[in-house]
Amino acid sequence: MLIYLAQRLLALAFVLLAVSMIVFTLMHSVPGGPFDTQQAKLPKAARENIERKYGLDKPVWQQYLNYMSHAVRFDFGIPYQQPQTTVAALIGKTWLVTLQVGIMTIIVAFGLGITAGMFAAYHQNSWVDNIVTFFSMLGVTVPNFVIAMWFILFFGVTRQWLPTGGWGKSGDCLCYDLLCSDWILPVLAYALAPMAIIARYTRASIVDVIREDYVRTARAKGLGESKVMRRHVLRNAQIPMVTALGTEIPNLITGSIFIETIFRINGLGKFFVTSTLNRDYPMIMATFLLVALLWGITFMLTDIAYTLIDPRVKLGAKKEA
Amino acid sequence: MADDLDDGIDFEHRSFWNDASRRFCRNRLAVTGLAIVGLVAFLAIFADFLAPFPYDHAYFDKVLLEPFQHPDHPLGTDEVGRDYLSRLIYGARTSLTVSLLVQAIAVLIGVPVGALSGYFGGRLDFAVSRVIDVMTAFPSLLFAILIISVLDGGLPTIIIALSITGWIGIARLTRAQFLTLREQEYALAAKALGVPSSKIIFHDLLLNALTPILVAVSFGIPGTIFAEAGLSFIGLGINDPLASWGKMVGVSNAYVRVYWHLALFPTIAIAMTMLGFSFLGDGLRDALDPKYEE
Repeated sequence: MLIYLAQRLLALAFVLLAVSMIVFTLMHSVPGGPFDTQQAKLPKAARENIERKYGLDKPVWQQYLNYMSHAVRFDFGIPYQQPQTTVAALIGKTWLVTLQVGIMTIIVAFGLGITAGMFAAYHQNSWVDNIVTFFSMLGVTVPNFVIAMWFILFFGVTRQWLPTGGWGKSGDCLCYDLLCSDWILPVLAYALAPMAIIARYTRASIVDVIREDYVRTARAKGLGESKVMRRHVLRNAQIPMVTALGTEIPNLITGSIFIETIFRINGLGKFFVTSTLNRDYPMIMATFLLVALLWGITFMLTDIAYTLIDPRVKLGAKKEA
Repeated sequence: MADDLDDGIDFEHRSFWNDASRRFCRNRLAVTGLAIVGLVAFLAIFADFLAPFPYDHAYFDKVLLEPFQHPDHPLGTDEVGRDYLSRLIYGARTSLTVSLLVQAIAVLIGVPVGALSGYFGGRLDFAVSRVIDVMTAFPSLLFAILIISVLDGGLPTIIIALSITGWIGIARLTRAQFLTLREQEYALAAKALGVPSSKIIFHDLLLNALTPILVAVSFGIPGTIFAEAGLSFIGLGINDPLASWGKMVGVSNAYVRVYWHLALFPTIAIAMTMLGFSFLGDGLRDALDPKYEE
């Protein structure tokens, strides 16, 4: 187990190194720099001064080494857009918002998705099943930004039941005031697609398991229906659900560019777009490293979760599927 | 699987593909999906003949017409007076061009890379696996945006940006397929008979790995449509005057309160196309995988 973890962490470190190199090269491959695209042209001397301050006058490889030597000490530099803070602080602030959106979306998507999938599987081919199938079709086929726009139009503008955008008094603390209703629309719009996928996964895996011999045996020996569900059906249907969890969670906690843009939520995704357009090198680097790190860790946790719920799976044994 | 494709023995010809197409045709949803995809493809290919107006001609005297208000413009006009029906039809072309080209590039890169690395293993496989590991760590949309900021915007850029991460999934899938396929008896037999590796890889084994690849591609297409529409929606994708459904929804955001039709029609177009490809993908998977017999 420990050796396995060490191997995985080593691999993750390698991936992060490679990601940093690729992103750094790509960012610097365009001629010009972050300080000569501004509308108000800076005098040459002033621009050179700023570039010297941020080390942009040095050759790219030297800039990279410089960046990495600071990055391994968790110093990710200063964002060009907001020089009064540090990149770490700014990422922390924006990611906190994204994280709030993401966690609420995860709760809604998994809560409703698993429940709906269970109901649909249990009442196979009934009207419940049809409704669930219809909504999961909708969730998969209509992009979330389009759903978001219609939500805003209907619930925000025409009916004026809910706010059309913004995100609480965000960035202050991890807790979020649920009474401040501006979370409802973005979370619902964002949750619909993963919810649909989870409902489909859940339904399919339960339908598979429910026909197994051991479920029939359990019923035959007189076990109550709820116990059959809990002990035999759901336990075995968990494995595909973990797969869904593992692929959806990193997406959800790193935020959706589209949802954040359309609901004017100042999260990581929206900030990434502005950073890219403004060529804010330190912010771009930090965002990519953070996202790559999160993906790596989630993959690792998913693999560990497999072994916890399914004793047949062994860590370290190469899975090829 | 399709072992019977290439063994040279003559028997009553009911191949795997015959069976698959029969299974496909019996599946109503799959046929519906195929019909929708066919319609969109038809619109995309013959847009020049079908569209009543050019996609980029602005009639400044007829800005923001409502649908059915003017006989010449059945679906109205947009914010600069371009015929909306024509733009929707040309939008199909943009959407399909991007998604099909991206998937084609993904297959052209991903399949050979995955096949060679899975078949030969060893150092090549180690190198390819590391590349796949690294590329998987890139969130594809963020990476696409970075590429778009490096290159100039526009259609070719979008295709490149989405292809760079698009081939990874196909490569991983193909590699996994080849890892198991190369151990099969017929692969060993072919090797023992002295069949050159290139023929084993790209003929015998590839035919057997084709099914999952085909399914992956058919699910990859709606994913690419989503990505293109999304990037265009936030203004990083297709440039004016080219029509893109995602951009049409995005631009209409400013007028949607009054001119709701500007958002409605492209929404329907995106949803129907993605629905069609999803049905098609489901149908293909069920038809090509004998295990899925219903």
